[in-house]
Amino acid sequence: MLYDLRRADVRVKWLVTGLLATLGLSYVFGAAMVALYAGFTPQSVAATYAGAEMSMPMPPETTMVVQRPMSMADFAGPEVHTVDTKLLIQDTHVHVPMYGLIAAALGVVVVGLSLPRRWALGLIGLLFAAPWLDFAGMWLTKLVSPRFAIVTIAAGWAMGVAYLIVAALAIHQMWLSRERG
Amino acid sequence: MLHITPIVVLVKRSDAVQALLPGADAYVAREVHLSGTDAHRLHETVDWSPEDGVLVFYGGTAGSTSVGALEFVRVDTPHGPIEVAVGFTPQGAVRGVVVTKATVEMKPWVLEAVAAGLTDHYRGLRPGGAPGGAPGGVPGGAAGIAGRAGNLAVYVAGEVDKGVARALAAYGAFYNHVRA
Repeated sequence: MLYDLRRADVRVKWLVTGLLATLGLSYVFGAAMVALYAGFTPQSVAATYAGAEMSMPMPPETTMVVQRPMSMADFAGPEVHTVDTKLLIQDTHVHVPMYGLIAAALGVVVVGLSLPRRWALGLIGLLFAAPWLDFAGMWLTKLVSPRFAIVTIAAGWAMGVAYLIVAALAIHQMWLSRERG
Repeated sequence: MLHITPIVVLVKRSDAVQALLPGADAYVAREVHLSGTDAHRLHETVDWSPEDGVLVFYGGTAGSTSVGALEFVRVDTPHGPIEVAVGFTPQGAVRGVVVTKATVEMKPWVLEAVAAGLTDHYRGLRPGGAPGGAPGGVPGGAAGIAGRAGNLAVYVAGEVDKGVARALAAYGAFYNHVRA
């Protein structure tokens, strides 16, 4: 094949290395942001996306009041960051195109790797499927059941794992392999 | 999972409670579950529906004396949400307003607006229709700082105005008029 990263011009290898390093940096800070705002457990992700909207309460026939005592500690407790439907629509609109471009860029790197065809197809499929499942998990958590938070967590990890596989293979084949040109 | 609009806490809720219910040593949360008719009326008045159709007021007392009530109101803007705490005296006038949350983008605008004296303009306001009520139901915070702050600060002041208007409308219609 004409496009083989092992034997590519050093300028192409340098470009791919820069791309992988930049994406790796953004993934690290992405994970930090998730830790800050949503967490990595099914419970915390469900609390972020399902919120109170899951209950869909019917309004009472007449306005009614419920009173309960509060302490200052109740006000000082940790607050859960929530993503409502409007914000999730905005997030989906903003992030899905960017995820597509990232998957495409990593997919182009995969095409230049020396891999069995079915492995390459599987890896490219994973690069695109993970962000799809990530957002599918968020929407299902909000609209169907908090149990779907596990889909978002699994998909988030899958995105990270797919990146690491591509980065490790590319760096190895471009700079460390005995067969490199 | 890499997609959350960052929201920052400008003032902790507990600090806002202490500022707006000074001297209180006991608190009660008063949840008003709105009927469909009342929720529609509130929406018609201030173009707002509280989350799940529930208004939550926090009352404070010092011993057996009421020191007032407060409400946290969220305003969704094209730049993300802000949260405004509006405190009322026992007589029903606005004691103070604190912007408790904003997005990272809006934080400097909020700080500039507050430094220009935004929250001073709300003190003493009463729900529309009452003596001293906001003219047309619209608090004049944004107009009050125009000329003393940048365009973005004035813009975010307009969003704070909305939060205060919502709190005034909710407090005026539902705080003392529905029995527990």
